[in-house]
This record gives sequence, structure tokens and C-alpha cells, in this order.
Amino acid sequence: MDATLKIYRLMVGLVMAGVIWILFPFISLVLIMLVLSFIFTSIFLPAVDTLERRIHNRGLSVLLIVGSAIVAFTWFLGSFMSNFGQQIKEFSTKLQEQEFSNSLIALSDKIQVMIPDSMLNLIPESSEIITGLQGKLSNVFQNILGLLSTTGNIIFIIVMTLIFTIIVLVEYYSFKRSMVRFIPNRYFEIGLRLIYNVEQQVSKFLMGQLFAAVTVALLSILGLFILNQVGANLTLIVFIGIIAGFANLIPMVGPFVGMIPAILIAIMNNLGNSAAMGHYLLGAVPSPFFILDIILMFIIVQQIDNNFVTPIVVGESTGLHPMIVMIALLIGGILMGPLGMLFAVPAAGIIKVVIQEISFASQNSHLI
Amino acid sequence: MKPLWENYFNKKNADSPVIHALQSVPVFNELTPKQFKEISRLIHKRNYKKGEIIFKKGSLGEGMYLILSGSVVIKDPESGIVFASLTNDNFFGEMALLDEEPRSAQAEATSPSHLIGFFRTDLMSLISRFPEMGNKILLNLSQVLTERLREANKLLMEKPQ
Repeated sequence: MDATLKIYRLMVGLVMAGVIWILFPFISLVLIMLVLSFIFTSIFLPAVDTLERRIHNRGLSVLLIVGSAIVAFTWFLGSFMSNFGQQIKEFSTKLQEQEFSNSLIALSDKIQVMIPDSMLNLIPESSEIITGLQGKLSNVFQNILGLLSTTGNIIFIIVMTLIFTIIVLVEYYSFKRSMVRFIPNRYFEIGLRLIYNVEQQVSKFLMGQLFAAVTVALLSILGLFILNQVGANLTLIVFIGIIAGFANLIPMVGPFVGMIPAILIAIMNNLGNSAAMGHYLLGAVPSPFFILDIILMFIIVQQIDNNFVTPIVVGESTGLHPMIVMIALLIGGILMGPLGMLFAVPAAGIIKVVIQEISFASQNSHLI
Repeated sequence: MKPLWENYFNKKNADSPVIHALQSVPVFNELTPKQFKEISRLIHKRNYKKGEIIFKKGSLGEGMYLILSGSVVIKDPESGIVFASLTNDNFFGEMALLDEEPRSAQAEATSPSHLIGFFRTDLMSLISRFPEMGNKILLNLSQVLTERLREANKLLMEKPQ
């Protein structure tokens, strides 16, 4: 290649990198939407292709699949919000009642009996606990309600992501063809192969994750149902199960996130219930409000998922080293918060597949 | 810049030379006009300069090429032996649609050439989205290969011992 041309290309590359660097803070939201729409496209694509095979209309297939997903998600969110809102409302009323104070005093007395005398002076008086808790819990629930109402920005991201997803799904093959047009002749075949393999691996990985999430959701619902049979008095078990299933997509942190709603609801529903407050796990370990039972149940579900479901459906091909998973989670969390943590591991999986494919291609293609 | 309406109404005929070229390939025999249109949405148009290598001997085969215009030679790069000189509407590399074996020869453009590429990944997506069309192409492909095998057998039989 001509040296002038090389310098020219280098300069253009540097200028472009500089422009991207400057523009990044302004376009990062658009990039997030594009990444999300790419992930949703990978999830919906097999279903859209299958439906297209039957009804011979791609546009309609996309609308039916994405429409069904939107209806299901809206129904879930709507029902969950109204039920959870109701639960919070009831609990807030309960907090102001005298009965609640009596329950807490009873609980405090019970705990005091269990704790050695030497440690008693470390624990504040019952009245202090009640006043503190009444103030703090009310604040927590007010904050939750506040968070639910400030969803404007999230709705904008969701709507734009959906529009991107629908466009990419309808024009998927033309879009792909337009993208590969820019690959130089020399790398064209290998580029096509790379794109196809990455596509397959990503689709397999995401479908596997989705399957694992559904399995965890179903197992959690079953577990919570069994706990209810022994008197745990849990409500909204379907919602808790679904949240646990999807929270499970975030490795390490997710399973704990899944437990929180269940524990919160167990406490809300069982305040004043002496049987639940004095419950023992397996008749031996004190487990007030069935908290330890719930944790144990989620650990069992987790173990089933980790040892049987995920290895079978996700497979070893996209398995990442725990250290990489932790680093990816940290980066995702720093960049985008909880949403970043949710997508950090699939993104790391995609990067791993791309590196694997490039390495395979360079070893087997006699390109260079 | 063309006005929008002109682009829109021209769009219908934009792929007609491609469809015309595709119709001449035995691999796409007996496909309906709608199916040809679907294939024309999948195929890749590539331009090669004179002397540019289309694929190297030993590289992993990804699919077949159809010459829209120009000329291509299929040769052994080490010995320089030319196996075939191909021009308009000729196709090559179709075996790579079925297997992932390394290419047995090198393809090189001997003049500025416009080619259409149809690759295994495109065939896979056709099979998954339109199984009927995918099956037709596979059947045609097996017929092309059978014919090649028969010709090779004939040559072997005719070769003096």
C-alpha cells in the first residue's frame, strides 16, 4: 500500500476515534438502546423465523411475536405493581396500628429470651426499635412508591429499544447484507463465517439463559407454594418467582436479589402471627417469619439451576471464568447500574465468542 | 440525488439482472419468481479488480459465486495450472455450500468482475425460514454434483490404462 495512503488512513482513523470519544457521553444512551435491541433481536429471531415459515409474512410475524411479548410484560408489570402497591398500602396501615407495636414488643421479648444476658445491653429498648422502625420502614416504602412513579426515562428507553428491535427484526437479513457489504473482499468469506458463528453462539447463549430463568422462576414458585403449605403465608408467589427467575440472570448478585421480595412479603404478612414468628427450620434452627426457610429454598433452587439446568442448556461453550464474570459485573454495574449488571455477562459471553472465532479463523483460513 | 418516488419505482427492477443471472444457474432450477426475489435479497454483490484473488487454495470454503460480468480463472497457485476459465453467467465454488472443506483451488479475477456470492450461511437461513425452497436448492445442488461425478467417472473410464 502507498505510504501516503497509509498515513491518510491513520489520520482519518485517529480523527474518527477522537470524534467518537468526544461524542460518546451524548450517544451512550443510543448505544445502550442499540445493544439492548440487538439482545432482544437475538432472543426473538428464532421465534420470528419459525412463525414466518408458517404464515409467510415477516412483518406480521414480528408484530405478533413482539406484540405478545409486550402484552405479557405489561400484564406482568401492571398486575405486579397493583398487587405490590396494595400490599405496601395494607402494610403501611398496619404499621400505624397498636397491634403492630404489640407484635414487635412480643418479638423483641422473644429475641431477648434467646440472647445471653451479657449481650442484652448491646440491644436497644423495644420502644426505641419500634419508633426507629416505624420511621425507617415508612421511608423505605415511600421511596419504593416514588421509584415506581418516576419511570419516564425508562419508558422512553423501552419504547425506543422496541422500535429499534422491530425494525431490525423485520429487515434483519437485508440489514445484515448491508452490514457485510463493507467487509473488504479479502476478509469477506471469513467475515461471513464469523458473523454467522457469533450469531449462533449468542442466540444459543441467550436462549439458554432465558430457559434457565424460566426454570428458576417455576422452581421458585413451586418452592414458595410448598412453603405456603407449611404455613409461610406468602402472597404474590408467581410474581416473586418470575422476579427470582430474571434476577438469576445476574450471576452472584441475582439469587440474593430474588430472595428479597419473598422475605419482605413474609415479614409483611406474618407480623403479629406468633406461629410464624416462633417458627423453627426443620424444628431445630429458629427461623422467624420463615426467613431461613425461604433462603434455604432459594439456595436449593440455585443449586438445581447451577448443577443441572445451566450446564445442559447454556453449555460449556460460553462458560466464563468466575473472575471474568466478577469483572464484567463490576464494569456493567459502574457503567449502567443494575441494568448493566444484567447485560454484563451476555456481553462478556459475546466478546469471548468473537475472540474465539477470530482466533479459529486466523488459524484455519490461510488468509494472511 | 434521485427523488424518492424515482428510487421507489426503480426499486422493483433494480435486482432484475441479478434474478436473470440466478435463473441461469442449475442450483436454482424450478424456483418461483417469488423465491428468486427472496434469494436476491440474500445474495451478496461483490466487485473484484483485475488480478484480485476471490478465494485462496486451502482457505475454508463458504459458498459459491456467479459471474455477472468479467472473467475468472480457477487455478492451482503452486503449479500455475488453470483448471477453468469462466465468464458471464458461469458459477463456481458450489461444493462449499455443502461442506466446510478447504478450497481445492484458487479463484482469481482476470478482468474487473462483478460477482454474486451465495453462501452456506444464506442457504442455512433459507432452509430455516423457507424449508420448501431450501429443499429444492439442496436437491438441485445434489443433481449438479451427481452430474459432475458422472462426468469424472466417464473421464476416468475413457483414460487409457
